[in-house]
Amino acid sequence: MNTNSHGHSLGQPLAIAGGIAALAVLPFLAGNAYLEHLLVLWMLYALLALSLNIVIGYLGELTFGHAAFVGVGAYTSAILSTQLGLPPLLGLPLAGLVAAGFGLVIGYAALRVVGPQFAILTLGFGAILFTITNHWVDLTRGPMGITDIPPMAIGPLAFDSARPTYYLVLALVLATAYLCHALVGSRTGRAFLAVRENAPLAASLGINVFHTKLMGFVAATAIAGIGGAIYAHYIRVITPDIMGVHNVAALIIVVIIGGRGTILGPILGALVYIGLLESLRVAGPLRMVIFAALLTGTVVFLPGGLISLWQRWRNAHKSENNLPATPTGLPSTEGGAK
Amino acid sequence: MDFTVFAQQIANGLVNGMAYVLIATGLTLVFGVLRIVNFAHGEFYMLGAYITYFVGTLFGLDYIAAAAISAVVVAGLGVAANKLIFWPLRRDHEFTILLSSLGLALLIANGGELLFGADPKYVESPFADEVLEIGTVTLTQQRVLVFAAAVVALIAVYLFIRYSRFGKMMRATAQNPDGAALTGINIGLVHTYTFALACGLAALSGALVGPTVMIFPTIGNWAVLKGFIVVIMGGLGSVTGALFAGLLLGVIESLGGGYISLGFMEAIGYAMIIAVLLWRPNGLFSTARGLR
Repeated sequence: MNTNSHGHSLGQPLAIAGGIAALAVLPFLAGNAYLEHLLVLWMLYALLALSLNIVIGYLGELTFGHAAFVGVGAYTSAILSTQLGLPPLLGLPLAGLVAAGFGLVIGYAALRVVGPQFAILTLGFGAILFTITNHWVDLTRGPMGITDIPPMAIGPLAFDSARPTYYLVLALVLATAYLCHALVGSRTGRAFLAVRENAPLAASLGINVFHTKLMGFVAATAIAGIGGAIYAHYIRVITPDIMGVHNVAALIIVVIIGGRGTILGPILGALVYIGLLESLRVAGPLRMVIFAALLTGTVVFLPGGLISLWQRWRNAHKSENNLPATPTGLPSTEGGAK
Repeated sequence: MDFTVFAQQIANGLVNGMAYVLIATGLTLVFGVLRIVNFAHGEFYMLGAYITYFVGTLFGLDYIAAAAISAVVVAGLGVAANKLIFWPLRRDHEFTILLSSLGLALLIANGGELLFGADPKYVESPFADEVLEIGTVTLTQQRVLVFAAAVVALIAVYLFIRYSRFGKMMRATAQNPDGAALTGINIGLVHTYTFALACGLAALSGALVGPTVMIFPTIGNWAVLKGFIVVIMGGLGSVTGALFAGLLLGVIESLGGGYISLGFMEAIGYAMIIAVLLWRPNGLFSTARGLR
């Protein structure tokens, strides 16, 4: 987001505080367990989408392997807690570490190529991880999946229902959103954007393009792994489907529909995705047809995602009041893989 | 090592590999000529198999006629997809095109599930149960047909690209679309028949492979993944690369499945491309822009 640079020095923090307060009271307004469950799913997808957004939005590379890292994190924590009896709280950072380890190795190999080749290569890596998970029955129980995963717990506080889990994931979403915000403002984040906009130029300024991309990719996979672990301990059952093409497509749809390269975009996209997924449950396979049409429609007609509608409105509003509109010629943090 | 088993594995691998080559040739043509990474390519393979099935069962036509009709119909669908999505987006960023094709892939795969049902189907073929013995190697006639028809189709494509007027227009467009347009080549027409050719080849592959496996609406995912892997390994835009990489992937998968583990067969194939790409990041046959 283009932060308070245009006379919003007081309005923006207030809006953010209001938004966080609204998110905090949401479970009390939900009223029933089903809606609370949907809120958890919303936050989980928001977390995963924020992590994918680092690669798609800030690095400007399209990855088709993100769901595999979610799966690696989920399986790591699930296996550690069911087979070794490790407390899920310890499994959480380990899931992030293991996913980051996979991200490092795969990123090291895949980031040598860019654009469509990188997209396809990550798809191939995702397929490898899926195949291994599906067939290494001794470790992962294959297509049967892992059941009876214990819920997450911090001391006496157990996250065994929707409401506490919602706050746990909300806290992680806010932390990740803040990290993304801080990142974009930092030297490293500016290097990300420079690499996205013009890699040869960034290299000529002394930015190590490969290392910059690898760093972003590993950070994204670590967050994806943590998100996957929370998912495993919340749903309590995981199957290799978590790594499947369907989930890859879902995460990409969330980021693109919401608005890549922004912080609110992926959160908004996750809300739209979960909301439509549930309200269209009766439609069966038609749901994915609708999502596919939405994806294509967004890419073609609204490249900035839903969040760009608000920015458009705000700019129009500003010019009405003779305030300077957000300049379009300056490098902005919005945009991403175009 | 038992030579009979080894020869059998190689033969199986070559047959599978030839099917990959057919899928990958279309993908690599569409990329090489039009600069489009078409995620929906596998769905045309799926449609090829299904249309062969429906033409065969609903109209009672024999297998060969059904396969030919399916290739023509799917080529037409490819042209329609090009007119509706890819042609209007031709000036857009490559990610817009890639994401739109992902949308198209989801649309066709899930639309197919709505129309055809999720239950697996079998494509009837008179060659599926007849066995052919070549020396010590035993193959069903259908699998021999996969290989033979693919070889004929690939030779035809090669001659078409190399010697026909339309093929020369394709190569000119691949080298430089603006330059080609300046010399009077109708780029829209090149887009149209490149898509027709690519989707027809994918459908032909689906129609040929259909009788050897079960078909269901999600096989397009599998097909596009194999196609991409072959294309990336061979080098994006390289037809020769697709041929070698496809056969290599088929044989390695077959040997890996036979001697190491059937379950990990696919993972072994993917691991191989990674090894190749660490050595040559742009594929085995990558050179400057153009169609090879």
